[in-house]
Amino acid sequence: MITHSRFRMWLNEGILEIILILFCVALSFIAPGFLTPENLLNVLRNVSMQGVIAFGMTMVIISGEIDLSVGSAVAFASCLAAFLTQALSGAGIGMPLAIAVAILVTLAVGFLIGAFTGLMRTRYQVPSFITTLALLTGLSGAAELITNGFPLTPFPDWYNFIGGGYVLGVPFPALIFLLTFVVLQFLMNYTPFGRSVYAVGGNAEAARLSGINVKRVKILVLGTTAFLAAISGIMVSSEIMSGTATTAKGWELDVIAAVIIGGTSLMGGVGRIWGTMVGVVFLGVIMNGMTLLNVSEYWQHVVRGALILVAVLLNLLQKGREQR
Amino acid sequence: MDAPVHRLETVSLRKEYPGTLALNDASLSFESGKVHALIGKNGAGKSTLVKILAGAIRPTRGSIVLNGEHVQLRSPADALQRGIIAVHQELSLVPELSVAENILLGRLPTKQGWGRIVIDWKSVFARTEEVLQSLGIEFDLRARASTLGVAQQQVVEIAKAMSYRPSVLILDEPTSALAQHETDRLFELVRRLAGQGVILLYITHRLQELQRIANTVTVLRNGSVVGTIDIADARPSTIVQMMFGENLQKARPAELVARNEPFLAVRNLSKRGAFQNISFAVNRGEIVGIAGLLGAGRTELLRAIFGADPPDEGDLLLEGTPVRPTSPQQMKNLGVALTPENRKEQGLVLLLSTSVNLCLASLDRIATHGFLTRLRERAVVDKNVRELDISVANVDAPITYLSGGNQQKVVIGKWLNTQPRLVLLDEPTRGIDLQAKQQMFQLIWEMSKRGISSIVVSSELEELLDLCHRILIMRQGQIVGEVQPQEISLDKLFAACMEEQEVQ
Repeated sequence: MITHSRFRMWLNEGILEIILILFCVALSFIAPGFLTPENLLNVLRNVSMQGVIAFGMTMVIISGEIDLSVGSAVAFASCLAAFLTQALSGAGIGMPLAIAVAILVTLAVGFLIGAFTGLMRTRYQVPSFITTLALLTGLSGAAELITNGFPLTPFPDWYNFIGGGYVLGVPFPALIFLLTFVVLQFLMNYTPFGRSVYAVGGNAEAARLSGINVKRVKILVLGTTAFLAAISGIMVSSEIMSGTATTAKGWELDVIAAVIIGGTSLMGGVGRIWGTMVGVVFLGVIMNGMTLLNVSEYWQHVVRGALILVAVLLNLLQKGREQR
Repeated sequence: MDAPVHRLETVSLRKEYPGTLALNDASLSFESGKVHALIGKNGAGKSTLVKILAGAIRPTRGSIVLNGEHVQLRSPADALQRGIIAVHQELSLVPELSVAENILLGRLPTKQGWGRIVIDWKSVFARTEEVLQSLGIEFDLRARASTLGVAQQQVVEIAKAMSYRPSVLILDEPTSALAQHETDRLFELVRRLAGQGVILLYITHRLQELQRIANTVTVLRNGSVVGTIDIADARPSTIVQMMFGENLQKARPAELVARNEPFLAVRNLSKRGAFQNISFAVNRGEIVGIAGLLGAGRTELLRAIFGADPPDEGDLLLEGTPVRPTSPQQMKNLGVALTPENRKEQGLVLLLSTSVNLCLASLDRIATHGFLTRLRERAVVDKNVRELDISVANVDAPITYLSGGNQQKVVIGKWLNTQPRLVLLDEPTRGIDLQAKQQMFQLIWEMSKRGISSIVVSSELEELLDLCHRILIMRQGQIVGEVQPQEISLDKLFAACMEEQEVQ
């Protein structure tokens, strides 16, 4: 009896993982070249730039907020890094130092953009939906402004390592992606801060009355996510070796989709970093598999849409069962 | 004017919820031409009875007889069709619509115009005018509801109810938000309605209103009807006796005395619209009760001391050091805790587990080098569960599954883990069963023994008498008196919480 209910619980909890594995098994039979180390690393590489942001987005959504600006933030960060590199190296500073400074400044600006959203939310009660909607347009425009509408290409060849290099055969962006996962998984599960994020999203007033600094939590969560978008932006600029204002358009929806597929509730208070990992990989595998099978890109979008709906539906059905 | 006499009866009406008996075989009889008051403490069963009569909930068993006919009320619409309608405490007007539209909401008269069905505004105003006239009141029918004061909105609600021409009108605490002169006008209206042959049920917890409005008084306690008496026999002390009943609580252990070391002094604390000039002191280990009616400013005072809603003026002395409360975080670090009155909305994060909730206020204490480990958390949680006798099957399951009493223990446990020196308890026994109440008392006495001071706000006056060393009485935002529990009787204390004129 106990083993039976344990099994049921395990099945409930891991339903998405099971479907993902079944999917991979199926693909390895029908899609030539799917189950090869190169292809699997390629999947990881393809998902890493959006995936990095997805972990931050998970925190944001758990805390009861949303960030619609991450796509524009990626484009803006890529342009800012390129612009700074160009300006600094143009001023006679050595390339390695110029790039190092450009990256650090870009990351700091990224964090501040998110913190700004948090500040608007906590001090002036502007919903993060609104502020980040404004930033979605605003940052995209700012990226165009600093690049004058043309890609900036100040980078030396070795810069390509960040977005295109390999360490021991593993793509460097994939390493950043895995590292981000480990750090945020730890942060959300084993620190007072992580616990506060869940509490703030679950019931902000109860959290405040427990002596938790709700404002600080929200500012830090939004700041971290925009910081991760800046990291992603730097990886993108390295991959395409330029700062381009039109890159990463619409990423916010892909990122939110991955988070939701991973079981995080848009109502806040519920979600797991691991779930997002599964969601991100799931989306990556499906795209990859369909490309290998020569399914048209239009169909890929339809399938992705269906996946979002089915995943949320499964999640809600499972919750309904638990409550009964 | 001789209206026909209507009669509404309930026969052994009973409502059971899992774990509680909300209404215990209530058999009552109400006739038209009179105002029947229903009185009782929170949770006495008043609202359950009202909801059953209004068709909002169905009784477990028992029946309702209207003019000799058994009626089945499956929904509010059913009740409406039988002419039974309730006006609730919370107003439900649509703010952006006019008075006339609100009164006829959902059944605005229509006509054919330009080949379509359009609203017949002429008849809208004619019909509402007629309703208001029959009630003897005047109103600007075109005014938007949002521009009206609470009292006027209340009257519009009643007009709306009366426009259905009900034979039974239930008013649920209609005066709770009204000023004195507004109450007078409402009473006039109620008496006029009674004269028109309507059966009037009037729910209240205000003793002093009874003499002025009611013809009969029915007292409920713990879901049971204690009795119905004629208003001529209804002395306040009799009614209080009926409302509170025999005292079955365990009394405070005699050896439990507060130490003579001041811990907290509140000096001239004020918050606009809530309370003014509050000063009092609490000794180490002392249990101070605050008695008063709903809206006397008790909850607001506790929240101000805790920094949840910082006071406008005044400050605190904590062991002689002046403190200006600005945030719960600050006050927590100074050793102050608050268990709020709404456990579910403010005390707990219902989505999260018992374990997480217990640790929520003391995360930094439980973490080692900034990291939480399951082992440390589990040790704390196990200790809480053991010491507070929390009955919980799985501490990692969402806390929603716990009973009210156990949830309340979790709220207290959460704060005990912060090693507090002063605990502010707002209605700590609300909605929990008798056994849990006893345990709650035991816990507060236990804390007192360890030198932890408590300030307890409760509407259950008999509990304050048993629990506290000292009771402060609050009325309209001010502390108007201080009493020793052993020197005052329950009805004297109750009277002292009421309006000025009843104190003497």
